Amino acid sequence: MADAMINLTIEGRAVSVPQGTSILEAAKTAGILIPHYCYHPGLPVAGVCRMCLVEVEKAPKLAPSCATSVAEGQVVHVHSPKALEARKGVLEMLLINHPLDCPICDQAGECELQDYTYQEGRAAGRLRDGKRFNPVEDFGGDVMYVTNRCILCTRCVRFMDDVAHDAVLNVSERGDRALIGKFEGKDLTHPWAGNVIDLCPVGALLSKDSLNKVRAWEVDRTASVCPGCSQGCNMIVETRDNMVVRLRPRPNDAVNQYFMCDQGRLDYRWMNRQDRVDVPLVRQGAALATAEWEAAIAAAASLLEGKRAHVLASPGLPNEALYLLSRLVGKTGGAGAFRVRQGEEAPLPGVPDLARRTDLAPNGRGAELLGMTRAGAPLAGMKAGDVLIVADEELAGMDAPDVAKAGAIIVIGTTLPAWARHAASVVLPITNVVEEEGTFTNLRGRVQRFRQAKSGPGFARPSWLVLADLLAALGESATYMMANDVFDALAASHPEFAGMSYDALGLKGALVKSAAAGATA
Amino acid sequence: MGGVEAPADAPHARHEGQHTPVFVGPRRAQLDELFTRYPTKRAALLPALWMVQHDRGWVSEAALAEVAEVLELTPAYVKGVVTFYTMYHQHPVGKHFIQVCTTSPCAVCGAEDVRDAFLRHTGCEELGVTSPDGKYTVIEVECLGACGFATPVMINEQFVESVTPEKVPDILAGLT
Amino acid sequence: MGYPHKPHDRETTVLSKYFGDAEAITLAGWKQRGGYAALEKALGMSPAEIVAVVKESGLRGRGGAGFPTGVKWSFMKLDDGKPHYLCCNADESEPGTFKDREIMRWTPHALIEGCAIGAYAIGAETCYIYIRGEFTEPIMRVEAALAEAYAAGILGTNAMGTGKTINIYVHRGAGAYICGEETALMNSIEGRRGNPRIKPPFPAVAGVFGQPTTINNVETLAAVPHIINNGGAWYKTFGRADNPRSTGTKLFSVCGNVQRPGNYEVPLGFPFKDFLYDLCGGPLPGRRFKAIIPGGISVPIQTVDEAEASLMDYEGFVEQGTMLGSGGVIVIDDAQNLVKQIARAARFFAHESCAQCTQCREGTSWTTRILERIVAGDGTAEDLDTLVDIADNMTGKTICVLSDSCAVPVMSGLQKFRGDFEALIKKKTVHMVPAVA
Repeated sequence: MADAMINLTIEGRAVSVPQGTSILEAAKTAGILIPHYCYHPGLPVAGVCRMCLVEVEKAPKLAPSCATSVAEGQVVHVHSPKALEARKGVLEMLLINHPLDCPICDQAGECELQDYTYQEGRAAGRLRDGKRFNPVEDFGGDVMYVTNRCILCTRCVRFMDDVAHDAVLNVSERGDRALIGKFEGKDLTHPWAGNVIDLCPVGALLSKDSLNKVRAWEVDRTASVCPGCSQGCNMIVETRDNMVVRLRPRPNDAVNQYFMCDQGRLDYRWMNRQDRVDVPLVRQGAALATAEWEAAIAAAASLLEGKRAHVLASPGLPNEALYLLSRLVGKTGGAGAFRVRQGEEAPLPGVPDLARRTDLAPNGRGAELLGMTRAGAPLAGMKAGDVLIVADEELAGMDAPDVAKAGAIIVIGTTLPAWARHAASVVLPITNVVEEEGTFTNLRGRVQRFRQAKSGPGFARPSWLVLADLLAALGESATYMMANDVFDALAASHPEFAGMSYDALGLKGALVKSAAAGATA
Repeated sequence: MGGVEAPADAPHARHEGQHTPVFVGPRRAQLDELFTRYPTKRAALLPALWMVQHDRGWVSEAALAEVAEVLELTPAYVKGVVTFYTMYHQHPVGKHFIQVCTTSPCAVCGAEDVRDAFLRHTGCEELGVTSPDGKYTVIEVECLGACGFATPVMINEQFVESVTPEKVPDILAGLT
Repeated sequence: MGYPHKPHDRETTVLSKYFGDAEAITLAGWKQRGGYAALEKALGMSPAEIVAVVKESGLRGRGGAGFPTGVKWSFMKLDDGKPHYLCCNADESEPGTFKDREIMRWTPHALIEGCAIGAYAIGAETCYIYIRGEFTEPIMRVEAALAEAYAAGILGTNAMGTGKTINIYVHRGAGAYICGEETALMNSIEGRRGNPRIKPPFPAVAGVFGQPTTINNVETLAAVPHIINNGGAWYKTFGRADNPRSTGTKLFSVCGNVQRPGNYEVPLGFPFKDFLYDLCGGPLPGRRFKAIIPGGISVPIQTVDEAEASLMDYEGFVEQGTMLGSGGVIVIDDAQNLVKQIARAARFFAHESCAQCTQCREGTSWTTRILERIVAGDGTAEDLDTLVDIADNMTGKTICVLSDSCAVPVMSGLQKFRGDFEALIKKKTVHMVPAVA
């Protein structure tokens, strides 16, 4: 039974929303953002900051829009003199004990207190008395708490309690002595605790990892997908001077709501590693010599001539690369397999179907859908004399006899492991997940785009481009100018991906056909 | 609130070397009876904290953690509650915890003089600081709800009405 | 009025008849004095009938809000199949008020009887009496009285032999004025920080433990047995003939600079001038009244002229620039520093703020600091304007009215006694580094 629709007017705009919607959420549908702090769509309503007070005609008092349901015929004013006065009052009060730390505070440039004060607050403070002082605290995990800056919005407390189901934070004391507290010995070690840093509107909860690293206005931001596990949390890659400096979650109601786990969040340093293979290499006798791309591709193609390709694919490769690898496999009559490193599952209990997954790779589902076989021993099916293509993978842990079956080894990857120096015949350098664009398919079959956040090193090329060139050298007629083209070809030849395109996927992604059918059943 | 640590031999205020559980034997039975009064275990929190304070003189971190476990709450949650309510001592206090009301109705009747008299006669140098012999802690409190009997004073659980500075020495002498 | 003075001739001792009478404390003594006849009668009526009688009486909440009790009880839907709760608000922490304490320590059975009738009338089998932690003697008395009542079968699963269940428990507070706010009280019973809740939902819909709940003050519930015994019409005979909206008697707690502080019970509508000079004995020798706060620290301060012109009921006090509130009469004479007392009142609110709402958390403290600075001689004329602005920001914008209450003495003090403030202001302005243009 559908909820009744309620019609009201907000700032002169007609709005129609389901019964039970808050005024604040209703305003969003009309493109109006009512300033607020304690409210967050992923948390239970608190209504304590009092920033979101709006004027409702015929009502005796200002209404907290986050905690007030819409009513038929309401006329709401967000920027009337009364509402503006009230917000100005709140902003002034918040700055009473708040230190003017902007020059040294990490939050500057992305601080909601700064933003609203600049927009609507008083130009000068009226406090002639001293401010309350408390020392900085280490909350454990990646989180430090700068007590003085806290505006007691309680988002962090509500997150840990209602979403993480691990109530390790509290509000302690009363009145203006109040602060966020915890119990000695019980820290923010929950696998999802780092989200409180994003939730904090001011610079009270900060990442120790990011402390004093960059200024918010110095970074570029790119939409991406976390490569840490098969959940596929949407994220933002922040870069400066071609280095990844921070990862933050990006909202997607269908995947991760507003959150990402600490493991994914903090695991970005490898994206900046400098020990990359950034030039094609071809074996000449005992050593690998640098080569031009055309020569290296030709060398690889000639190795594959008349042979079967056995592909050891990484489940961290994007769909585009895996698609082209599967074409390679098909063309040569070979096989492709992959294994997935396992970790410990860590659910976020307050959000349905959200967890750090045991599969520590973003595209295992994609690999399967595109014809790769998941195997504990992915080289077991290789036949003697096959050309082993190690695509962004490791041979460590493989059985030596299996490896020895290979007639030749072509390495396509981002680094040059020790074994490759002796064993690889050709090395083709590729860019990593933040240096190219592509798509991953998460464990639920959601295909999601990730965009290029920084440029790759040296002569490294996108994975799809390298494989496209290799296929062309083997006689494939299809030409691909952009990753887009590869994806379109993938969609055209795989019913699960039918109808998908980069445009259609947008920033939220879409489910493969079998998953979508399951969802609507 | 509570005062600072009292000397180790002060009988009322002991630091626990090792926490011995409060909710065993009769206290556990009392707690179990309490559980029948409310639909949640959480609701027994304030009464449980009173039991701890009655038995141990204050609510230590270890005691707080025991309460949390017994009521199936987190220690951080219990701590948030303990720090909200001013009557739970978070540190050991003097044997006689003296609370003088100084809110406006009593203030206009000379409550500040009563407060100062207590500070003088107990040897406490400051409000909230336990006397060197561990016997007294004096604090100001907000309205005790006996405004017509100014100035009311609480000494531990004992409520004394109509205190004047002149009566203070006798009151102190009468404390065991 | 009981202890320690004898009742004044002009008092009407309904609730306070046995203040000072040690025998009234026990069950046996209380029964001799007519106790529990009302409960027996009520248990033979239907809940709807009881609600009707209480509605007719015009009884209004005596804790400070003055909401009609019968109407409040009628909000409870008796056939919703949910467990209902009655909470008795015995948190009495409003400065100036000390009447519930006397009711509980002299006539605890009166309260228990009122609670039992109230619980039955709203379909509740459980009543929690939330007594502030500092009230050690009332707690002892009420606990002892409850034990007697259970032993005598008045309470329990077969209340007075009717087969109905009435359970009453004491829940002890631990030092928080804000727990006198009804939603904070419910949170405190639930074992939480005493934070007030946003309304809606209202307690009658989703209250303690999420279930329909009614919260009533001690004095309100103590009046109920008398109403049951004597009828609603009887209760209406107390009060001004020309003001049917304020009926019954009220305990006024008198404190501060008067000859005879204590609790006085008079019919609503009693002339305040007579009350102050006749019943309470007037000012202390050699002094004159300066300012009167008739309803606890949260109601506006009155000038002596306003007080002398007031009739002591809900509407009468509003007409004279204040409110009846809890009926806690705080008398301040001309030997006091009024600004210092207002500063002390602000300090009280700053200490008691729960810290949820920005305006209250910061505003109570900021107000206190400015006022203390003014009292110390370090205030400026601008400070007075700032105080008014802060008070305005603290009014009508928060989850509960503690914030508004802090603004009240400041605003009424500045409106009616501005001279006292200005006398303390020595400086015109303070040189400040100008903000960047």
